[in-house]
Amino acid sequence: MSAPFYRYALFGDEMSLILAVVIGIGFGFFLERAGFGSAKKLVAQFYFTDMAVFKVMFSAIVTAMLGMFYLSWAGLLDLSMVFVAPTYWLPQLVGGLILGFGFIIGGYCPGTSLVAVSTGRLDALAFCGGVLGGIFAYGEVYPSIAGFVTSTSMGRVTLDSWLGVRLSLVVFAVVLVAVLGFWGATTVERKLARREGADAGALT
Amino acid sequence: MSRIDPRGWGLNQRLAAVALTLGALTLLGSPSPGGAVTLDTRELADIVESEVDHITADELADWIVQGRADYRLIDVRSPEAYAEYHIPSAESATLRDLYDYPLYRNEKIVLYSGGGIHSAQAWFLLRARGFAGSYILLGGLDAWTDEVLFPWLPADATPAEVAEFEHRRRVSELFGGKARAGGGAVEQAGVELPKVAPPAPVAAPRKRRKLHKQGC
Repeated sequence: MSAPFYRYALFGDEMSLILAVVIGIGFGFFLERAGFGSAKKLVAQFYFTDMAVFKVMFSAIVTAMLGMFYLSWAGLLDLSMVFVAPTYWLPQLVGGLILGFGFIIGGYCPGTSLVAVSTGRLDALAFCGGVLGGIFAYGEVYPSIAGFVTSTSMGRVTLDSWLGVRLSLVVFAVVLVAVLGFWGATTVERKLARREGADAGALT
Repeated sequence: MSRIDPRGWGLNQRLAAVALTLGALTLLGSPSPGGAVTLDTRELADIVESEVDHITADELADWIVQGRADYRLIDVRSPEAYAEYHIPSAESATLRDLYDYPLYRNEKIVLYSGGGIHSAQAWFLLRARGFAGSYILLGGLDAWTDEVLFPWLPADATPAEVAEFEHRRRVSELFGGKARAGGGAVEQAGVELPKVAPPAPVAAPRKRRKLHKQGC
């Protein structure tokens, strides 16, 4: 038996949807517990005063990456069957920027907005309305931008194949970058917290 | 940070150390499987017997005309033969290349060779390695040449066959071939010769597809 179970047809569409709901609720629960149901906490990321978002997301990436690597090494996971979203670098760059603007302006990303709705936050409800409106508008204008959306296609790209290096080297590099990033983020947080403390002291 | 004494570390430092250790250990190994596999020969025999291991040249032509992009077309002949002529959108990979050719186990892969023997062998190699979506182009490039590039209409064709031939005629033009109508079996054997297939359809097939979407 080998993962991914869905691709190996160990269960069908219905079961995969049920599992998606269960995993999604678990994911949302831990996002909420990490404090990501608060727009203030999320936006603090962009002012470098609270790097929790960066730390949580990067820890998740590193954990999942190491887990997948060792599972496939042990022969329990077939990496070539794991879905990798195809890369269209230019439209995805533009889309990423739009999402980033929305994140800073609205205070949520799509996942955390749903988490915040579940605890009854009205700003998140408005944000979700905006998300739905955006999805609808995108669907309406899609025919006229379809050419752009599917341009600069690179297919299924992973860092190791793109750089032409061993997968394990990429894994190690990402872990290294993450650990250095955590250290850097904590340093920046401390520095800004001290400055803010100093500002507050000057005001009183 | 200056002293390396794990007893004084907090949870974060410990987690970072674990991650770094696991990350460094990955350098020792590679998760890609080797060439050795175990396979269920009965299952493979079942697939072959039930004839779900191939597609026909006509089907493939329709897929290309429709601009379907949910499959990979692999030419397993030599690179020289590939350079001389290949089916539009085909990629070149010999049997030996196939081992580390970037294919994925969840893709639909259509293999073809000149006749069909090499593609069948390639199909077996891929199936054995778990590429469940592998298919053979039935009859290989020979079938493609006879049925798609240079389709032939017998003189005593039924009206239904004539109607189908009209479709084939347009498809063959699309791929730079030429339909042969009328004539008996003897003439067919004679016309078989101009098989030196033109490399014409390689250029800009995308635009043609859009102009000519009668496939579905």
